[in-house]
Amino acid sequence: MRNPITSVRLKSVLEQLATPFVSVLLAFAIGSIVIWAVGYDPILAWTSLLKGAFGDARRLGDTMLRATPLIFTGLAVAYGFRAGLFNIGAEGQLFLGGLSAAWLGLLVVDLPRGIGIAIMLVAGALAGAAWAFIPALLKARVGAHEVITTMMFTFIGRYLVSYLVTGPLKAEGQIPQTVKLAPETMIPKFSETFGIDFGRAHWGFVIGIAVCVLMWWILKYTTTGYEARAVGFNQWAAETGGVSVSRTIIKSLCISGALAGLAGVVEVIGVQGRLFDQFSSGFGFTGIAVALLARNNPLGVIAAAILFGALSAGAGTMQLEADVPQKVIFIIQALVIFFVAADQIAKWVLSPFKRKGAENA
Amino acid sequence: MASPLLELRNITKRFPGVLANDSVSLKLNKGEIVALLGENGAGKSTLMNVVYGLLSPDGGEVFVDGEPVELKSPRQAIDLGIGMVHQHFMLIEPLTVTENIVLGNEPTTAGVIDIRKARADVVEISERYGLAVDPDAKIIDLPVGAQQRVEILKALYRGARILILDEPTAVLTPQEVKELFGVVRQLVTEGLAVVLITHKLEEVMASSDRVVVMRDGKVVGETKPSDTDMSGLARMMVGREVVFRIEKKPTVCGDTVLNVRNLKVLDDRHLEAVKGMTFDICAGEIVAIAGVSGNGQTQLIEALTGLRKVEEGTISFLGNDITHSSARQTIDAGVSHVPEDRHRRGLVLEFDLAENMILGDHRKPPFTKRGIMDPQAIAQITEERVEEYDVRSPSIRIAAANLSGGNQQKLVLAREVGRNPELLVAAQPTRGLDVGAIEFVHSRILAERDSGKGVLLVSLELEEVQSLADRILVVFEGRIVKEFAAGQASDEELGYFMTGGGGTKLTENSDTEGGESNDA
Amino acid sequence: MLSDIITPDLFAAAVRIATPLALAAIGGTICERSGIVNIALEGMMLVGAFAGVVGALATGSAWFGVLCAILAGALLALIHAFASINLRTDQVVSGTAINILALGLTGFFMEVIYGHPGTTDSAPRLMPVFNISGPTEGVLGTIWTWINGVFLSFTPIVYIAIFIAIFGQWALFHTRWGLRLRALGEHPRAADTVGISVVRGRYSAVLMSGALGGLAGANLTLEQVGSFTEDMTNGRGFIALAANIFGRWTPGGSYLASLLFGFADALQIKLQLFRDVIKIPSQFFLMLPYVLTVVVLAGVVGRAVAPAAVGKPYEKG
Repeated sequence: MRNPITSVRLKSVLEQLATPFVSVLLAFAIGSIVIWAVGYDPILAWTSLLKGAFGDARRLGDTMLRATPLIFTGLAVAYGFRAGLFNIGAEGQLFLGGLSAAWLGLLVVDLPRGIGIAIMLVAGALAGAAWAFIPALLKARVGAHEVITTMMFTFIGRYLVSYLVTGPLKAEGQIPQTVKLAPETMIPKFSETFGIDFGRAHWGFVIGIAVCVLMWWILKYTTTGYEARAVGFNQWAAETGGVSVSRTIIKSLCISGALAGLAGVVEVIGVQGRLFDQFSSGFGFTGIAVALLARNNPLGVIAAAILFGALSAGAGTMQLEADVPQKVIFIIQALVIFFVAADQIAKWVLSPFKRKGAENA
Repeated sequence: MASPLLELRNITKRFPGVLANDSVSLKLNKGEIVALLGENGAGKSTLMNVVYGLLSPDGGEVFVDGEPVELKSPRQAIDLGIGMVHQHFMLIEPLTVTENIVLGNEPTTAGVIDIRKARADVVEISERYGLAVDPDAKIIDLPVGAQQRVEILKALYRGARILILDEPTAVLTPQEVKELFGVVRQLVTEGLAVVLITHKLEEVMASSDRVVVMRDGKVVGETKPSDTDMSGLARMMVGREVVFRIEKKPTVCGDTVLNVRNLKVLDDRHLEAVKGMTFDICAGEIVAIAGVSGNGQTQLIEALTGLRKVEEGTISFLGNDITHSSARQTIDAGVSHVPEDRHRRGLVLEFDLAENMILGDHRKPPFTKRGIMDPQAIAQITEERVEEYDVRSPSIRIAAANLSGGNQQKLVLAREVGRNPELLVAAQPTRGLDVGAIEFVHSRILAERDSGKGVLLVSLELEEVQSLADRILVVFEGRIVKEFAAGQASDEELGYFMTGGGGTKLTENSDTEGGESNDA
Repeated sequence: MLSDIITPDLFAAAVRIATPLALAAIGGTICERSGIVNIALEGMMLVGAFAGVVGALATGSAWFGVLCAILAGALLALIHAFASINLRTDQVVSGTAINILALGLTGFFMEVIYGHPGTTDSAPRLMPVFNISGPTEGVLGTIWTWINGVFLSFTPIVYIAIFIAIFGQWALFHTRWGLRLRALGEHPRAADTVGISVVRGRYSAVLMSGALGGLAGANLTLEQVGSFTEDMTNGRGFIALAANIFGRWTPGGSYLASLLFGFADALQIKLQLFRDVIKIPSQFFLMLPYVLTVVVLAGVVGRAVAPAAVGKPYEKG
């Protein structure tokens, strides 16, 4: 009895992996056409991209570094999607998380490093959750669409941070930014720990993976996750089954906001050491692509974030060596989202293989 | 003899995994009413959707007036004079009657709708065929009977010669059914031909000239009502003998389980939908609410199960006040709910059987301890209940969406009855099921009653109400207008009270040739 | 001070700022009335803004730029239509992808065409339609300043937007196109059963919204700013969606709601001039339109009813 079910499961896992994989390939194929059409060499572009992303320990470190915030924002968006909520405003929650870390980092300087980091992580998560709370409340009470409200809160949050770093929290000097944090309040770097030059990659990457596993477990094995999924699939049935839909919406969007807030914390105490206007290069938005590619599976988020981290890490080398503008990365991202969402295309591409497999079986 | 108005030859239609129509042939002549009889899922609607150009067949031919035709879209069907009244009305609620009727065939000058001409046209055909409607009313404000008249007018406005009625009586009272068949009879005398899709034997006997019976996608027989009887038709339809009456022990009425006093509830539009209902249910009793759809039943159930706010009045359950309890508190108190729409409220279709089985109990041991779920306990109890309630599925790890309608309903029943409640609220528990599943659901509901539980049954099917209920409460416009003990009322009497009784409160139904005075 | 703030140019600025919002919002109205959610208006506007500048710089004709903008917006909408209608992709997801795609395409081609990121050169612009001189002195002068400022000082697309709002409002409720569009968004199956092609109807609506989004972009670059800067739409597409909701899915309502946002923004800009008097940091003024959007959604959405079938893919049979 057991074997067929295991093999069915294995097969379905493989099938689940096949579609995103083909989607990424298709995205690169179309990207190649675009690059080729405007007169560049796609093969050179992708090889230099690969080299830039994985060429040596330092570059690998750069990929991990760039994947780190994306793990958190991707997870944030994915968790929201599981509860039927589109948290398009992870970027704003990330800003608030970063803000809280930049401020708290100056206060926890006398505490032991681990405790200080833990406090900043918790506080950043709370700040992110708080920034998601009003959109969550509006969604639950009056049905205001979270796509618009969280987006608006992103703009509000960015202006808030812009005000604080040019005013009350501004460090001495010309540049609008906060005071630089002491190195002992920051997350340790891989280079420090392992003695190998991994560039600026830090332990936030590992924290991110751990949080992904935790969220995977929460979704699968706790009532919190069960109720979030029930509401995400069918809020009427969930309501009939005694689940408070509005409470679940608020809780889920706040959890999503908390995860996005963590991204901001990790970016501030892992990399930048301070907060400034442009400290996020759209991690919250890239998180959407990460979540979709991962099909909202927290474990898939890890792989998808590494892919997008690699894209962004390799883009510089690509521009340098193949002369292709870095912005092509956005085009690839958009295409990946398309092909994952319109999975019929990938399935159609896969269908000859599938038929073959069925014949062999 | 002239060629038939409509002829189908060897129509075959496949869906993934199902052969919905297997080489079906059918003839329809001018001036006749042909009943297409079959169980839910027998392939009747599929066949008619092929005729109406909504589905393209995988094989077979369609002839209109003896000419082969290819039906690729409803547009072509309409142009050939085919009209269809769908089971779920194809009406756009925020638009007016006139807008709905002319939609797709609007009288226009340079793209601008001549609304005056449209309205005049609607009034003209509605008078010609005696189908009274208010051309300016919005659909959302009309009772179902009037909505159905709009549907028929839509077909007539497009010059239909062949009219397909898909389960037209599902939402009507006996009086409205009679009225409908009067209209249909008049239409065929004017030269139309009518296909009546139904699973109700009485209607076939009462109204059709010829019966074609379908089972599992095939035509299994053709006859005339005069050459057969109900049990003969039933045997053809189901493929075996069918017991019409359910054996029922007399009630032993115990303590009061549910006590509802002067209950008032609003609907989504903030209008009063339940206008002061008072009733009791005792242990070991099935109380049925009979009424036309939209007379406050949905809101009543939602209020009783904690899904809708109570405006006024009280609900007490086993002596405890649950008027303002949440859905969860109500479930925990011992009220189970089989919702009227199992896809919307009953099941999370994407969840597997086990996940659906615990919905409502998912916070309680043995399924969950301190917020963490126990997959083994969940699987074990799911297996037990799936077995007991005969839910046919290859595995409990399969999404509920993959089950047939009957098995989905058994899954809901397994959860709600398996919880061992003191009160079972069952809303239209057999809607859309085949005869086998209906029998199973009915037997389970009776078993609950016999084990001393209270049951509130809400149903639009009078047959179901009559055969299961110990007491019948007739509702009309949010009020209980009449109470009958089991077996005291005929369908006609029930129907009379379901539409307001006495004939004074009838809405616009009464405008049409004094429909109700004929019956009274 | 109040008379320094409440001036004709405040209202003129409100109308100008409202124009791209209104065009995109009406695009959103048409699209959602047909049953398709379009959160890609942001991207369509961005691509329109860029294509407008490219067309105008290449030919020297601002009007050719406008044409390019409309086509570019419609082309992007074609992708959304294909994904939503044929592939039955989640419409919000498809819209998100298009927004990112627009960011990528404009940034990429900016470097390909002009060799640098950031901002393009100044393109030929569309000039105000009227240039009438009137009295400048006395009461008559004041009245003329107001009339000229509030009604006669605008560039062509501003007037086109007003025309589209009025005509669209009438057409939605009095023409065959409007009736069928409303039917599609409420109950596509009902429309299908009376022979209206859901696919064709929805395609044309999505393309129209893309064209309007592109036109909105053209207004930004070829009438307001004069050049293209990366990511210059800055959330306007989302505000436009809110305006569409606030305007209850009608073209006229969308325009009026956009005017409200335009006024908030114009006021914000105006008040920044008085920074020394009103001691509030500029960032808080900049937040104003976004806060207003949230407030509007919080207050209104509970009562506004979207087309019933919006966002749901339609499957035949």
